[in-house]
Amino acid sequence: MKKTKLGEFEELVLMTVVVLQEEAYGVEIKRELEERLNETLSVGSIQSALKRMEEKGFLTSEFGEATQKRGGKRKRIYSATPYAHRVLKEMKDVRSQLWAAMPNVATS
Amino acid sequence: MEDQRQHIGPPRWSQRLLRFFLRKEYLEEIEGDIDEIFEDYLEQHSVKKARRLYNKEVLKVLKPSLTKRLIGTQKLNYLGMLQHNLLIAIRGFRRHKTTFLINLIGLSTGLAAALLIFLWVDDERSVDTFHEKDDRLYWIMTNFAINDDIQTREYSPGKLAQALVNDFPEVEDAVRVANNYFRPKGTMSFGDHHFKASGLFASTNFFDVLSYELVLGNPKKVLSDKTSVVISEELAIKMFGDSESSIGKTVVWENRFFDTEYVISGVFKSPPKNASNQFNVVLSYQKLIEINKWADHWNGAFAETYAVLKEETDINEFNQKIANYLNTKTDTDRFTLFAQQYSKNYLYGKYEGGIQTGGRIENVRLFTFIAVFILAIACINFMNLSTAQASKKLKEVGVKKAIGANRPILILQFLSESILLAIISFFVSIGLVVLVLPQFNTISGKVIDLQLNGYLLPILLLVTFTGIFAGSYPAFYLSRFKPVAILKGRIGNLRGEEWVRKGLVVVQFSLSIIFIVGVIVINRQIEYTQSKELGYDRSDIVTFRDHGKGYPNPVPFFNELEKIPGVLNASNFIGDFLSADETQNNFSWKEGQEDDSYLFMSPMIGYDFIETIGMEIVAGRSFSREYNDNNRTIILNESAVRFMELENPIGTKISLGRGQTREIVGVVKDFHYGSLHQKIEPMIMRCRDRGKQYFVKLRPGSEVETLARIEEAFKRINSKQNLEASFLQDDYTELYDTENRVAGLSNYMTGIAIIISCLGLFGLAAFTAERRTKEIGIRKILGASRLTIMRILTRMFMRIVLVAIVLALPIGYFVVESWLQNFAYAIELQWWFFVIAGASALLVAWLTVGFQTFKAATVNPAQILRNE
Repeated sequence: MKKTKLGEFEELVLMTVVVLQEEAYGVEIKRELEERLNETLSVGSIQSALKRMEEKGFLTSEFGEATQKRGGKRKRIYSATPYAHRVLKEMKDVRSQLWAAMPNVATS
Repeated sequence: MEDQRQHIGPPRWSQRLLRFFLRKEYLEEIEGDIDEIFEDYLEQHSVKKARRLYNKEVLKVLKPSLTKRLIGTQKLNYLGMLQHNLLIAIRGFRRHKTTFLINLIGLSTGLAAALLIFLWVDDERSVDTFHEKDDRLYWIMTNFAINDDIQTREYSPGKLAQALVNDFPEVEDAVRVANNYFRPKGTMSFGDHHFKASGLFASTNFFDVLSYELVLGNPKKVLSDKTSVVISEELAIKMFGDSESSIGKTVVWENRFFDTEYVISGVFKSPPKNASNQFNVVLSYQKLIEINKWADHWNGAFAETYAVLKEETDINEFNQKIANYLNTKTDTDRFTLFAQQYSKNYLYGKYEGGIQTGGRIENVRLFTFIAVFILAIACINFMNLSTAQASKKLKEVGVKKAIGANRPILILQFLSESILLAIISFFVSIGLVVLVLPQFNTISGKVIDLQLNGYLLPILLLVTFTGIFAGSYPAFYLSRFKPVAILKGRIGNLRGEEWVRKGLVVVQFSLSIIFIVGVIVINRQIEYTQSKELGYDRSDIVTFRDHGKGYPNPVPFFNELEKIPGVLNASNFIGDFLSADETQNNFSWKEGQEDDSYLFMSPMIGYDFIETIGMEIVAGRSFSREYNDNNRTIILNESAVRFMELENPIGTKISLGRGQTREIVGVVKDFHYGSLHQKIEPMIMRCRDRGKQYFVKLRPGSEVETLARIEEAFKRINSKQNLEASFLQDDYTELYDTENRVAGLSNYMTGIAIIISCLGLFGLAAFTAERRTKEIGIRKILGASRLTIMRILTRMFMRIVLVAIVLALPIGYFVVESWLQNFAYAIELQWWFFVIAGASALLVAWLTVGFQTFKAATVNPAQILRNE
């Protein structure tokens, strides 16, 4: 599998970006994920995941509006690339195939 | 409250950290994110907690993937630029090979000279500092008021050490050792094997308090027995093969104090080479007391006292407390005490009128200055050559500035170039140092080896400093130009800079000329000390000592000597003639007047002494066996006669106190007792026929044979001892050992200074000639002769050197004048010393420049102008 790898945390962040649509910027992603995972995340971890994925071609971004709360600094809105959608789909398929292939022991 | 909150911002330093480290393209977004979260925190938590959480977020953001990189377009530092700078520098070195070589040779010789001097200075400074309690170990010195003066002495009463411990709470412990006059030097024998032993009488706590390491034996006990000795590892190995087997062995030790059996109770490591006190046997001080009870008496000064003071003792207060301590103990109030740090005594050992005035530290300072000056001369070369070549670098500066380089960046570039050069020079200089170190050790009389481990930091500092100093001026000068002006080709005038360059050359040559004056004077003075008539004839005299016990009758030995045809005359005396330290007071010479406080020079000489060394008798007679002068009569020198204001000295009786008198039988012409550092002082020569130091006058021409026969005769009488003879002439030269070494070193250092200065001048001349080639071509076409061209080109340099001469000579005068103050008898400064110094500088400069200008003046003008 010579394809670019997507880590577990990266995958979560990527999916959050897709979920949040137009609202997908750093702080919002952090809030959303914190709520869903029920744990505290740091800006650093979210940002480094975002930057990494942008470099790998999973995400594109552009500047959004600036708010007073941000001290006049602009947000950066992320959106997933078609390639990212394809990879997400592939991973989901792989997982569901694996789930299907698993013997029925875990449920007992 | 609501309004207030608007102004609460995130912690400043944390914000700065973020801005410094985060990549520029991420900064706005991420800082915004964190700010937004901070606002959230402010709503949920206290300000304090919000800030703490903010800090935490910032720290977590600082990940390698988000921070600036070390290389690439967005950088955390200037690594890339440094790389670029180094590349440019190396290319520059390759292109301007002559300049590079001149700079390299100059800087590396300069650094090598500085390194050597640094090693020497460091070695001097390390002397005696090996004692563990070095910072608290003090030498108790005595100031002795005599002859309207104060003499500072290293020795003190034997009782002082213990008394200090008892009476002063500040004194933790104190050691007494016998002073220099009471050092048992002689032969130690085990069976038929004889070895040279140089001993030290010391109190029992010697090894406990001082850091002479005891290899075998209990430091508290080895010296508790009068009949046992502790020997050095070196001696133990020589005598017994190894140190273990020496313990408990019985040896016989013969010297002037005793000829006794001793049991070896311990072995110590030989004193390190940076110890001022060198000895290979230590024995109990009690033994000295047994030999001479005055060794343990307040009115005898047989000991040297070293005290360890308690920590946090104020030394000034302590000195005040002990100053008059001896008044209560001795029967005179002429003595005052003071404590001097033990390890300081080596460098600061000179006192005048009871006040510390210098010592070896003067030479240390002198050479430190020389090192700094030589390095400065080498740095000036670099400055001059790089500013002279500014025009070649201007385009580069212009382009760089045009595309956005600012001044600090350019300064950094030029500095990195000079630092690179300094580093290369440093490696070359290490090679040079390794090469000349053996030679250097011979000249300086040291055993230094190059160990860089402990000196990495200072050396790094030295190299960086040299680089920065050398590069400072070019860096600030070159980075100053306006890019537009440069690129348009309007560089304005560089005249102002020429003044600076000339000034720097003046500095170089002034220093060199001062060095030359110094070298001339030092060498002349040394020549003077060797050629001056001393009032006696020191040629063809051998001197040696009988290290045996007691004072045996020397007549049998003289009879043996008489049989040797090569011996012209022989005599004996007590003490060491050249060290000039035999003194005596308590003389009174006027009826009813008890003026006994004057301290006379007073050697104790045997029969035939005056004849052997060829002193001139101006009145009366010499000591003679016929008159049985031993211990009965005295001979004065002319100074003493003048001092005592005696009209008819011969026959006058002088009182020695305690009812004893001595009759004056002769007067000798004034002669130099000791070195020329001391003045000729009033002297009373006493007659002792049992001296153990011998002077033998040889017939010139057959010295080797005669010496062999003297040794035979000596062996017949003193079977255990080896004859260690030296020539009086050599011993006398030895008195000026320090001066000789200073002279040797400064000769070389001056040579180096001159060579480096000339290298710089050479480079400058080459550059000037190159820049003026067109002018030279046109002048030649218009009819100028070679000579005219050469004159035009050399004129400027000659003027510079002349200015240097005018500046340097007065300074040089003051320097050498103050150096000559060290001698009671010194050469007169002659005008021609300075003429030679100036003329040689001028000549050397002219030759250097002349070579270049000759080359420039002989070119064919057609070739220069053809390219136009």
